Amino acid sequence: MLRRRRRSLSLLLLPALGACAIARQDTNEPLDPAVVASFEPGRTTAREVVEKLGAPTEVVQLGKRTAYRYDATTAKTAVLFLLVFNLANQDSRTDRVWLFFDERDVLSHYGTWWGTHRAQYAMPWEDVHEPRDNELRDAKRPGVLR
Amino acid sequence: MKSAWLAGCCCAAGCVTGSYERGSVDEPIVDSRLADLQVGTDDLGSCLRALGAPHRVFEVAVGPDLESGMALLWVWRAESGFGVQVSVSARDLSASWSGDFAGADLPGCMLWFGTDLRLEGWRRGQLGELLAGRRRRPAPSLGD
Repeated sequence: MLRRRRRSLSLLLLPALGACAIARQDTNEPLDPAVVASFEPGRTTAREVVEKLGAPTEVVQLGKRTAYRYDATTAKTAVLFLLVFNLANQDSRTDRVWLFFDERDVLSHYGTWWGTHRAQYAMPWEDVHEPRDNELRDAKRPGVLR
Repeated sequence: MKSAWLAGCCCAAGCVTGSYERGSVDEPIVDSRLADLQVGTDDLGSCLRALGAPHRVFEVAVGPDLESGMALLWVWRAESGFGVQVSVSARDLSASWSGDFAGADLPGCMLWFGTDLRLEGWRRGQLGELLAGRRRRPAPSLGD
């Protein structure tokens, strides 16, 4: 009787002996918060920005003004294969910097969003937006202040 | 009973697989941050400090003279759902079908600024609603 139960339990656990897979996809190199923090509205020019960050991903004409976009993306995927049922999660985060220049190509405003370091490998039931997780990851990336 | 056996055999042979998937893209802008914005008072700088960098920036026409203003767009995604994949293989032919029940919504918010870079309005909604009626810059002609 005991042997039969063990056999049944083994059969039930068999699907769990599947496989796990993780994957990471990066688009562009993460931006350096310290470099961006060195830009001074009213003083830094578009030329200086391009010398430090390279060519922007996008340039938007806004009448006489222009805006440059720099970005990078990290996507982390975790999959658990259970033979007939699979569980998967993908967490994709971006670093984004938008720089706004006036008609003289002098920086007037800029905005940042630092997210690539917050991407997580997780299962679908896990919360990837927990504030504590974000704080821990922010603390490990120099120059990131929210 | 026969159909249950048939379904079991299909699953065991890898013909039918189910899945539960979740995908998240960036983090949502919380309502309170949007509610704190003051139309006519906040400007581009204060909005960028409050919400961070947007995903996209667009030129928009503002005022009676259709001068150049701008619109800033933030989007995010957090969807989950079940899916199923069916595969059939016989001799030299193989076919597969997959479908999922996860939502395809892409929520976001958009802020509009006038020529003086003051906040003129904001809206929260789905991406398609927010981009409806957006002015596109015409392609330059050879004569320009």
